[in-house]
Amino acid sequence: MGAWRRYFLPSRSSISVSPTEQPGRRHRLPHQHHRFEWLLAHEWRELLASRAFWLLLVMIGPLVGHSFITAVDTYAEASGAGGGPAALAQGLSPLDGILVPTFGAYDLAVTLLFPFVAIRLISADKASGAWKLMEQAPPGLPAILAAKGIALLAGWLLAWTPGLLALVLWKAYGGALYAPELLNLLLGHLLRVILASGIAVAAAAIATTAASAAIATLGFTVGTWALDFVGENRGGLLQKLASYTPTSALRVFEQGQFRLSTVVVEAALGLGGFALAAVWLPLGRKPMARAAGSAATAAALALVLWGSAQLRPAWDLSENRRNSFSEAEEAALGKIREPLRVTVFLAPEDPRLIDLDRGILSKLERILPAVDVQNASHSQTGLFEGSGDHYGEIWYEMGGRRVMSRSTTEPIVLGVIFGLARVEPPAQTGEREYPGHPLAARPTGAAWIYYLLLPMVVVAAGWLHFKDRS
Amino acid sequence: MLLSVTGVSKQFGRNTVLENAGFSVREGEILGLIGPNGAGKTTLFECLAGLIAADGGTVRFRDSELPPDGRKHALHYLPDTIRPWPDQPVRWVLSFFAALHGRPQGEAQRLAAALKLEGLADSRVGSLSKGESKRLLLGLGLLAPHPLLLLDEPFDGLDFRQTREAMALLRDTQAQGRTLFLSIHQLNDAARVCDRLVLLSRGRVVGEGTLDELRASAGLADGGLEEVFLALT
Repeated sequence: MGAWRRYFLPSRSSISVSPTEQPGRRHRLPHQHHRFEWLLAHEWRELLASRAFWLLLVMIGPLVGHSFITAVDTYAEASGAGGGPAALAQGLSPLDGILVPTFGAYDLAVTLLFPFVAIRLISADKASGAWKLMEQAPPGLPAILAAKGIALLAGWLLAWTPGLLALVLWKAYGGALYAPELLNLLLGHLLRVILASGIAVAAAAIATTAASAAIATLGFTVGTWALDFVGENRGGLLQKLASYTPTSALRVFEQGQFRLSTVVVEAALGLGGFALAAVWLPLGRKPMARAAGSAATAAALALVLWGSAQLRPAWDLSENRRNSFSEAEEAALGKIREPLRVTVFLAPEDPRLIDLDRGILSKLERILPAVDVQNASHSQTGLFEGSGDHYGEIWYEMGGRRVMSRSTTEPIVLGVIFGLARVEPPAQTGEREYPGHPLAARPTGAAWIYYLLLPMVVVAAGWLHFKDRS
Repeated sequence: MLLSVTGVSKQFGRNTVLENAGFSVREGEILGLIGPNGAGKTTLFECLAGLIAADGGTVRFRDSELPPDGRKHALHYLPDTIRPWPDQPVRWVLSFFAALHGRPQGEAQRLAAALKLEGLADSRVGSLSKGESKRLLLGLGLLAPHPLLLLDEPFDGLDFRQTREAMALLRDTQAQGRTLFLSIHQLNDAARVCDRLVLLSRGRVVGEGTLDELRASAGLADGGLEEVFLALT
């Protein structure tokens, strides 16, 4: 008895069904939370049984370590280490210099390694026949998928150990961290893995084999890269769609922005993948029912995504307020209640449009109640637009008044808008500028930790884990 | 009547696997589904369990129609050729399965002892031999608390002694008031353990009843199940 107690979770009484009882609710409802604990424990064990997961853990340490060590060295050089000229202190932000490159390794891992871990959690059940037993078990599909999702998330949080260790090392070197932008970046990476899990789980549910699911998942990733590229060059709806690809969405968080629309869209896409898996996993479902379920899921998801994309709330959580105007300018802009219409005669590939969009329009959209931007350019590059095409003009319209400017410089554009809105521009108040955080420290001991200690710890843990199961 | 099956059909492409199959399962009996390889036994079980969508037919449980998505509440089907959770030890698989179905852990332990799995408790499922794996599957099937169990080839891979022990275990289960529906291609085994039989040939039910009833419908004065089956197909 003692040996069997090894696996006992908190004990509950039996709910065995009387042989003469009609099947019904009593069979399904009792102790569901207890079953869920077992499901969670089981999925965690299945995750730990996955060689792909252990391989991911072995590789993630050196990957993150290399990014971190390179970032700290580069940051030190920019800060004047070794007697070289230092960059302007205001330009030295740990978000850009350390956090984004260090956690960038996770983007690589979640794109190329993590899908195989997630796919296995579904495909192994299908291949071994365990799914036939699971489908008949009382917990039901939503609980099973939830347990798999939570196990994947827990596994990913474990894989975050090297990244979190990098933060500790950075602090130990004397580096600065700004909690809001750090937590925002971590949220971005968390959403990235939720999305990757959803795509991988859906692919594993739809495909017959793990190999097909892997190809489908990588195909999806390559597709989003293509959409990124095309959207950047075409503008319009494609550009709007491209702003929600995993890479673009992560860039928002890397810039220190918290956009509600990005958060909801990414979470909805991830959960949508799990919903699609729930349509395809039941074995007894007819093809037409699966097609109808998929179409209904896609329609519901499209509706949620469209609604989410309309959400305007956004916050600048970066320490250097890179996504904001000065506080005085924002206070003055806050007095404007009328909608602003901007008509831009600049091609999508024109760098001035990129400056205008990132430096001014995206900031305005966060502050003004309504900003409608129309791109009136006729070409992709603007190189061959005629003189009658108004190329280079930017028209601002508010309350029936129109003003044209060709500038994409922040003070000039703001001056145009204040004039158009008849709002007094703020006086120069001498606001405190971001001081920057130069640090000429070397990554002492990091190489030993990331290239030797962490891989050895993972290999030893893996060896101990699999030793008992040979 | 515990389960009434009428008109169940299934085609895979142009291949008709089940054709208008119908029969009944009585409360508390051991019913055998007999047929050669390819007769459609597994497909019939998977249709009954709701794991394959049948093209037609109805299933009634205690006089109420049982839709495919409600089958898992009335019956449990144990497939033949699966090897579930191959990376987990036998002990965990039994404990987990018992917990999933709300059975006490002592029941998992009792079945492990009855099926002589205790010595294999720490072995990975993937490392078990065919016979050991079959004993584990039998344990999983009997852990499900459903009034009706569908076991696909429960003796396949077991040696003579193990088959006798498994039969005794199934008789014990029957004595507790549960109903068993076994798919068996070894006619001798079927004749030894089953109270009644359903004969399936090329997807059609060609006979149903006790051995004596089947013998009578085949017009044979004597003879075993093999002769009866040959006469009816």
